[in-house]
Amino acid sequence: MERRVALKGMAAAVGAMAVLPSWASGWNKSSLSDGKMLSADQSKVLAGVVETIIPKTDTPGAGELGVGGFVQKMVKDCYDQKAQANLAKGVDILETQSVKSFGKSFADASKEQKLQLLQGMEKSSDPDQKAFFGTVKNLTIQGYMSSEYVMTNLTHYEMIPARYHGCVPVKK
Amino acid sequence: MANFNIDSKKARTYDAIVIGSGISGGWSAKELTEKGLKTLVLERGRDVQHIKDYPTTNMMPWEFEHRERLPKAVTDANPIVSRCYNFKESSQHFFVKDNEHPYVQDKDRPFDWIRGYQVGGKSLLWARQTQRWSKYDFEGPARDKFAVEWPIGYDDIAPWYSHVEKFAGITGNKDGIDALPDGEFLAPHDLNCVEKYFKEQVSKQYKDRHIIIGRAAHITEPKQIHLDQGRAKCQHRVMCERGCPFGGYFSSNASTIPWAMKTGNMTLRPNSVVHSVIYDDKKQKVTGVRVIDATTKEMMEFYAEIIFVNAAALNTNLILLNSTSSRFPEGLGNDNGLLGKYVAFHNYRATVSGEYEGFLDSTTDGRRPNSGYIPRFRNVYKQETDFLRGYAAGFGANRQSYNDKSGMGESLKSNLLETKYGNWSVGSHMMGETIPKESNYVALEKGLKDPFGMPQLKISVAYDDNDEKMIKDYMTQVSEMFANAGFKNIRTNDNGRNPGNDIHEMGGARMGKDPKTSVLNKWNQLHVAKNVFVTDGACMTSTSTQNPSLTYMALSARAVDHAVKEMKAKNL
Repeated sequence: MERRVALKGMAAAVGAMAVLPSWASGWNKSSLSDGKMLSADQSKVLAGVVETIIPKTDTPGAGELGVGGFVQKMVKDCYDQKAQANLAKGVDILETQSVKSFGKSFADASKEQKLQLLQGMEKSSDPDQKAFFGTVKNLTIQGYMSSEYVMTNLTHYEMIPARYHGCVPVKK
Repeated sequence: MANFNIDSKKARTYDAIVIGSGISGGWSAKELTEKGLKTLVLERGRDVQHIKDYPTTNMMPWEFEHRERLPKAVTDANPIVSRCYNFKESSQHFFVKDNEHPYVQDKDRPFDWIRGYQVGGKSLLWARQTQRWSKYDFEGPARDKFAVEWPIGYDDIAPWYSHVEKFAGITGNKDGIDALPDGEFLAPHDLNCVEKYFKEQVSKQYKDRHIIIGRAAHITEPKQIHLDQGRAKCQHRVMCERGCPFGGYFSSNASTIPWAMKTGNMTLRPNSVVHSVIYDDKKQKVTGVRVIDATTKEMMEFYAEIIFVNAAALNTNLILLNSTSSRFPEGLGNDNGLLGKYVAFHNYRATVSGEYEGFLDSTTDGRRPNSGYIPRFRNVYKQETDFLRGYAAGFGANRQSYNDKSGMGESLKSNLLETKYGNWSVGSHMMGETIPKESNYVALEKGLKDPFGMPQLKISVAYDDNDEKMIKDYMTQVSEMFANAGFKNIRTNDNGRNPGNDIHEMGGARMGKDPKTSVLNKWNQLHVAKNVFVTDGACMTSTSTQNPSLTYMALSARAVDHAVKEMKAKNL
């Protein structure tokens, strides 16, 4: 219960940080919360995974931007049952391996330890683990790059370009 | 009670009825109401009012919770429409779902029927390419003997092309190409550096081949007539399929329907599924249409002097086939048994792609709702290949950009935000003419009813050997043109798509000179029911290679002009 309160609080903080009109916000709590198929604990592991793939620097990381919720929503709604089962399985494997290797939950592992566990999956000879990693990484990149924060503040998406120039110099 | 019935009948009587509100129905409505006719426009789907009913039009990319991808439950339940390139999270509400409006797909000859049931029809979703036909296109069937002769030629339609182009707003360049006549153009879009380079290379190496910027229904410089419609300059969002809040591209919703409404002569009745056209055996005349109210399922009748059938090619066939009477037991105007036959389409199966390593210090800026176009060059002046007719092609180049996605952590994050440029990619897709054949047909499947109790349409359409040969030739020729221009990594692909996925289905009620071998005359009138006009894709005698909507607009305006003259002369 406390975790949920904390997650909700974080989502609210992100909304405040982005400083955009409410009509522009698709990353609202309702669109995140109805997409869950993992348990609260599993969701926390997944949030740790996306944050490890794209961490906070001087700008927010994927975890803070709610990309974990996006990954879940996509897998739940747009992927087949096998991929859905594999998402939960992959999260559980990460948790088990974290406890085995470092004596603590994945969520409590250090940045380096999380990275090490994920690299293990990336290079795993188990096709399910590889598939888990591939799916989560691709969706993390998609969710991050298409997030309101990144498109507004970092890549400067233009909704209405009002022009097409067929030949301009590449910006160095 | 008797008086009540008379009044009620009077209230349901108009000068003209238009069945359908898409590209051609919108034009029929505009022209009829401008000429002062009280016109009832029947649309089987819901109302879609310009801007107000475009729910996704201003949504930002991140507001789509699946980023334009559709949930698996939707694509699994609707495999046919899911194969359409334009069916996505932002536009899915403008497409008919397979399971809502079933039809019978021939197992061995599958046809993907892509539909838009709402006011505006598919004019909200079209690709907006508007090339004129040339005299060579109209003369094709007579010269090559693959279909009946067209009863009209280029000169008959040219003034009507001008008429509709000026109102719709067509961007294009006056290229002076014999096989693709110029029109009334607004300022053209830019070709980019590599497209211009390819244009120069092709014109150096091939006498009869050209690369041009597409002619498209986008307002690049608004004229008074566009401002009068409440439309503005295209803003290059390239999200047309959501409906455009600027009216930057032509749709019935932004243009013809509100224009017709403004005359005060139009009654628009959405949720009105036309069951059949009424032929009065006593009066020996068509007197109106039977409609099923989509909400109440109640059957009602409306009456008029003139009926325009613009239900979109295959639904127009369905309505006419379902319009039976003692005089026309096999469907209205179907004395010769040809109604529903000689259906054709455009062959979009093949693509060619490649890369160009030049212009690496250049890129493009902004977005373009248009692309390059290669007018048909095969068999234009004489038969020169082992297949009949020819193909046009789309052509486009764009600078590849990518991000290094390797690894994880801070390095990945900074790589993702640093766009790198690759070579230019170039691509082309074919738009092949197909041969109308008796064996490509639609018919009523009388044992199977749709949710309104209408018989379902059986569609049986397939490619033939001519199409296969044309695909090979397209691949060979465009690959050669690419290679000659120094493009690298040239690849051809046959996407294997079903007929229908091109959304250019035509025919079934073809125009012709002889009532024995055609259904409509040179004015798009049924040969044997002169107050019924068909000006959508169903009327097409052959398909040529151009995207067909502009021709439907011109044929609609031309037919209305004739219909009103004939009505005034009491000839209908």
